[in-house]
Amino acid sequence: MFDLISKRNWFFAFSLLITIPGLIFILLTPITGGKDGLKFSIDYTGGTEWTIKFKNPDVTADQVRSALADLGQPESTVTRTGSGFLEIRLTKLDLREQAPLPSAAPSTSPGAGSPGASASAGASATPSPTPSPSPSPTPSPTAATSASPGASPSASEPPVSNNTEIPRTGPLGEIVTGLEARFGPIDQQLSLSSIGAIVSSDLIQQAVVLIFVGALGILGWITLRFRDVKFGVTALVALLHDVIVVIGIFAILGTLFDVQIDGLFVTAMLTVIGFSVHDTIVVFDRIRENRARHAGEPFAEIVNHSLLQTFGRSITTSFTVVLTLTALLLFGGSATQEFVLALLIGIVSGTYSSIFNASPLLVVWTEWEEQRKGRVAPPRATRPASA
Amino acid sequence: MRRAGPILIAIVGLLALAVDFLPGLTVPDLQGTSGGRVIETKLGLDLRGGLRVEYRVDARDGKQPSLADVNVVKGIIERRVNSTGVSEPQVLTAGTDRIVVEVPGVSNTDEIRKLVGQTGALYFVPIPKGTATVQTGQVLDLTKFTPLFGGEQVSSANPGSDSHGGLAVNFNLKADGAAKFSAYTAAHVGEQFAIVLDSTVISAPSIQSAITGGTVQITNEQNIGGLPRAEVDNVVNVLRFGSLPFPVEEVASDTIDPTLGAEFLTRSLLAGGIAIFLVILFMLLHYRLPGGVASFALIYYALIVYAIFRLIPVVLTLAGIAGFVLSVGMAVDANILIFERTKEELRLGKSLPQAIEAGFNRAWNSILDSNVSSLITASILYFFGSSVIQGFALVLIIGVLCSMFTAITVTRNVLRLVVSQDWARKAWLYGVSESEFTARPARRRALRGGAPSV
Repeated sequence: MFDLISKRNWFFAFSLLITIPGLIFILLTPITGGKDGLKFSIDYTGGTEWTIKFKNPDVTADQVRSALADLGQPESTVTRTGSGFLEIRLTKLDLREQAPLPSAAPSTSPGAGSPGASASAGASATPSPTPSPSPSPTPSPTAATSASPGASPSASEPPVSNNTEIPRTGPLGEIVTGLEARFGPIDQQLSLSSIGAIVSSDLIQQAVVLIFVGALGILGWITLRFRDVKFGVTALVALLHDVIVVIGIFAILGTLFDVQIDGLFVTAMLTVIGFSVHDTIVVFDRIRENRARHAGEPFAEIVNHSLLQTFGRSITTSFTVVLTLTALLLFGGSATQEFVLALLIGIVSGTYSSIFNASPLLVVWTEWEEQRKGRVAPPRATRPASA
Repeated sequence: MRRAGPILIAIVGLLALAVDFLPGLTVPDLQGTSGGRVIETKLGLDLRGGLRVEYRVDARDGKQPSLADVNVVKGIIERRVNSTGVSEPQVLTAGTDRIVVEVPGVSNTDEIRKLVGQTGALYFVPIPKGTATVQTGQVLDLTKFTPLFGGEQVSSANPGSDSHGGLAVNFNLKADGAAKFSAYTAAHVGEQFAIVLDSTVISAPSIQSAITGGTVQITNEQNIGGLPRAEVDNVVNVLRFGSLPFPVEEVASDTIDPTLGAEFLTRSLLAGGIAIFLVILFMLLHYRLPGGVASFALIYYALIVYAIFRLIPVVLTLAGIAGFVLSVGMAVDANILIFERTKEELRLGKSLPQAIEAGFNRAWNSILDSNVSSLITASILYFFGSSVIQGFALVLIIGVLCSMFTAITVTRNVLRLVVSQDWARKAWLYGVSESEFTARPARRRALRGGAPSV
C-alpha cells in the first residue's frame, strides 16, 4: 500500500512553498503603503467607482485619465471594458462632501436649469380664506411658467428614462462638466458607487472578526464531534493554511495584475473555511472508524489507510464544487469574478490541506504525545512498509 | 415509514412546482394586509438596477442617537422617500446607527438623495423691507437674516385649498410660534417671510395680513388652480418632516443602471444552468444509475430552493445567485459520499439493497458534520455581515438545509424504488465489476437485513 504519511515532510514543505511567497506579498502591503501586495477595492479604501460611456466611441482610457489629472484627480484609474464602457475609479473623491445643495427640495420642473427659473408663485399668507383684494406684490414674476394645473399632477413629474441620472452637482458634477467639455456628452452611466471611509474601516474590522469567529466555531465543532482537541486543532491549522493561500495569491495577483479584493472577499474566506473542512471531516471520520476497528495498530498506519480509502471521494466532492465555480468564473460575468476566484483557490487549497496537512499533522501530534508518555516504543521503528 | 417517504416527496415536489411556476399565488401577509402578498421572485438592486444609499445617524449636541431615535429618523426618511412617488422603495435600519434606502430602477437618483439626505434645519425667516426679494431655491445666508423660530414650532401641515378651490398649503403653529408669528405679521404686512430648510428657501410668500391664532395658509390666487401640486406636496413634506431629530450623513451610495442589472442576471442564470448541467453530466458518467437518481434529486433541490426563495421571500442578489450555484456543487457531495460508501460495501460482499442502506447509514456522520460546519460559517456571515453578505449567507443556509433533505431523503427513497426493479440490478449500473456484485441478499442475511434507518 502506498505510504502517504511517511512522505508528510514533503507535503508540509510544499505547503510552506506556497504560503511563504504569499505571506511575503501580504507583508508588502503595509511595507509599501499599499502600492504592492493586496489591492483593496473602494469597499475598503473609500472612494468612487463609476462606469460611463461617451457618445464619442473613440475616447480612450488614457485620455480620460489625463483629463482627470487636470481636473484635480491625479490618482484615478481608468480601464476600458470590452463593450466600450470606461471604468473610472477615483480614490480622492468622496461624493458625501457635497457642496451646499442648490435646491434642497426635489426640483419640480425638470427642464429648469437654474433654481430661480422655477421659483415659487406669488404666494400669500392669509389667516382666513378671504380672497385677496389686490394682486399681492409677487416676488417672482415668472410664476406662471412653472405652474401646471393641479388637476394633472403627473405632468410635473420628471420624464422616466431607462438610464440613471448622471450627477450634475457636487464634486462629481464638476468632473462631469470637465469631462464633457473635453470629450463631448456622456451617453450612458452604467453604475456609480461611492463609499465613505467610515464604511471602509467597519469592513476591515468586521472581516478580521468574522474570520476569527468562524475559525473558532469550526475548532469548537470538530473538537466536540471527535471528542479530541487534536482533531479540532489540526483541522484549524489546515483552515489557516487555506486562508493564507487565498489571501497570499490575491496579494500576488494584486501586485502583478492589480486584482482587487472587495467587500465580498470576507464572504469567500468564510465559505472556504466552512467548506474546506468537509474533506477533513471525511478523513477524520474514517480514522475514527478504523481506529475502533483496528485497535492496536500503529496510528500512522490507520491514518494512512483512512486517507487512501477516502482519497477518491475527497477529490470528487471538491471536483463538483470546482465545476460549478468554473462555470461561474467563465460565464457569470465580471461582477463576481474575484469572489468566485477566491472561492475556487480556497477550495482547491482546502482539498490539499485536508489530505496532506490535517491528517499527517494529527499523526505527528499523536506520535509525539505517545512518545512523551513513553507508553510504546517509537512507532516508526515498528511500522512495516506496507500493510 | 417506507410508504410515507415517496408520498411526502411527491407532495413537497408538487407544492414547490406550484410555488415556482403558477403565477398570481398569494400567501397571507404577517402584517395583516388584506389579500395577502403575491408570491414572486424578488431581485436585488444589483440585478434590477436602482439606487442604494447608506446613511449614518450622527450625534447631535453631543447626544448619541439611541435605537429608538434611529427608528424615528428612519420613519421620517421613509415618508420622504415615499413622498417622491417612486415604486417599491425600501428603508431599513442596519446595525446600530445605519439607515439604508433602496429604490429600484429610478432615473432621478440625485433628486432622491438630496431629499433624503436633508439634515433638515427648518427655520421661519423674516425678510426685512428693503432687501432684495427672495425666491424659492435661493440659498439664504442665515447669519444675515435672523430666523423668527424653528421648524419645531410646526404642529401640523396639510395640503388645502384657497378661496377659488386652488391648491394651497395649510399649517398650524404651536403656541410660542403662533405668538411670535402673530406679532411679526401684524407689524409687517406686505413684506416677505421665508421658510428655509438647510439654508435653502423652500417657500417665500408675502404677508397678506396679520396672522393670529397660529393657523397659516400659503396660496397663489393669481394662478388658476392655485399652487402647483408638486410644490404643495414639497412644502407640506418639509413642514411636516423637515427637521430630523439627528443629522444623517451619507456614507455610501450605489447607482446601478437597469440594463447592467439585466445583463448580470442573464449571465449568472446562464452560469447557473451550465453549472447544473456539468454536475449532472459528471454524476451520470461517474456514478451511472445512482448518479441519475442524484441528478433527479439535484433538479428537485433546485426547484425547492427556488420555491423557498419566492415564499420567504429572499431578495436575490448577484452574490446570492453565486451562493446558489455554489450550493449546487455542494448538494451532490452528500450523494458522492453515500455512493462511494455503497461501492465499498458492495465490494465487501454485501448485496445491493444492503450496500445501499449501509452507504446511507455510514456516510451520515460525515455528511452531518460537514454540513454543520458550513452552517456555522454561513450563520456567522448572516448574523454579523452587511446586507450583501447576508444575502449570500441566507442562500447558503437554505441551500445546505434543503440539500440535507434532497440528497438524503429523496435520493434514498427513489433509489429504493429503482433498486426493486429487475432492470436496475446490473453490476455496470453501479460502477462495480460483475464479481463484486450481489443483486439480492442471501436468504439468511435478508432476515438480518434492513439496517436501521436514519
